[in-house]
Amino acid sequence: MVNYRVVFFMGKGGVGKTTMAATYSLMKALNGARVLTVSLDPAHNLGDVFGTELSERPKEVVKGLQAIEIDYDAMIKKHLKRLTDKIKDIYGYLRIFNLDRYVDVLQHSPGVEEQAALERILEILKDNERRGKYDLIVFDTPPTGLMLRIVALPTISLIWVEKLLKLREAILTRRAAIERIAGEAPRVEVGGEVIKAATKPEEDPIYQELLSIKSEYSFINEVFKDRSRTYSVLVINPEVLPVLEAKRAKDFLSRLGMGVKYLIINKLIRMSNPPEELRLRMEFQRKALELANQYFSDLRVIEVPYLSREPRGVEELKGLTKFLSVME
Amino acid sequence: MGGGLSRFLKSLTEAIVGTFKGKSLEYVEVELRELENVFALIVMGSFIGLPSPPMTISLKLLPHMGRELIIASRVSERLDDMLGEMAGLFEVS
Repeated sequence: MVNYRVVFFMGKGGVGKTTMAATYSLMKALNGARVLTVSLDPAHNLGDVFGTELSERPKEVVKGLQAIEIDYDAMIKKHLKRLTDKIKDIYGYLRIFNLDRYVDVLQHSPGVEEQAALERILEILKDNERRGKYDLIVFDTPPTGLMLRIVALPTISLIWVEKLLKLREAILTRRAAIERIAGEAPRVEVGGEVIKAATKPEEDPIYQELLSIKSEYSFINEVFKDRSRTYSVLVINPEVLPVLEAKRAKDFLSRLGMGVKYLIINKLIRMSNPPEELRLRMEFQRKALELANQYFSDLRVIEVPYLSREPRGVEELKGLTKFLSVME
Repeated sequence: MGGGLSRFLKSLTEAIVGTFKGKSLEYVEVELRELENVFALIVMGSFIGLPSPPMTISLKLLPHMGRELIIASRVSERLDDMLGEMAGLFEVS
């Protein structure tokens, strides 16, 4: 297995995940690593943060740092096209099920976005396994809810695949029994053609397809759960709601067996004598920090101060790297 | 005389074995059909509002499921007489 690191930046919408992911990527690239930053957030602003236009194709931001923004529409279309072309091809005669119309509306079905995103993550990871082009792949993720569904998908899918494999084995065992008793395997007429049903796992396309799905999801799960290679960074603002959401995310990731290493508290206001207008806000911040200390005592906490304006472009991001310097 | 008895016993044995073979084949075929029907229902459950695997799994399996779909469709057509069929199979009259 090629040695590279995978880091996910997660958190509630608007807490500064993209800025932190971009700063971390830049810092690593400036230190000599070959980095790919991938924006999985459908509301892309990685390009805005780097101050350059990004697309599906890796673009060099600085030497050693490439970035892409996933085009969700194109990705879903590509993902479904591969599947539906095959279906339309084989089921041309099965108009009775209206499958052709069904597959056209699949892009609107629930879960397709997560599935397509996962396929793209898989593609990026597998490509790097083969070519070893990057030492570090940083994912700037969509807001917590969607991202958690994406990372849970391999585990959920594997549960289904295991059950389906067992059921398939039961089917194949019975088919083989019929072949032994009757002297020939069961047959079925599909589209005017009589087809002999497979009786052995190695000749059953469904069994083989299930094994191939199992192998893909096992690979991605292995990468997600390998704590020596992959970890997540939770980004919060010093407010109660982002802290609570990050806590739920951490618990969920831990149930999935994924590691969380750092907590970045972004937009932190430190003032010894705050003006009257800010006192109440500082009080809320104090409460949120207390809560964060309680929930995330096992994580390394990184504080990033509130800045008078959002950093844009490589030069301004360089100024932020000092806050993340403790990150591996 | 001995040869006649031996032939008789042989054909009797064949008849008994044939009957059992036929009966067991019938049971296994029904079991297989139901398993294939269940497999199609699970994989394609989203068509009829049943919990089903993530869409991609269903779509990846769909191109190979001609036999299961045909069986599921036949079974659904005969659902109103399933009891009759089972009664016939287990010779309940």
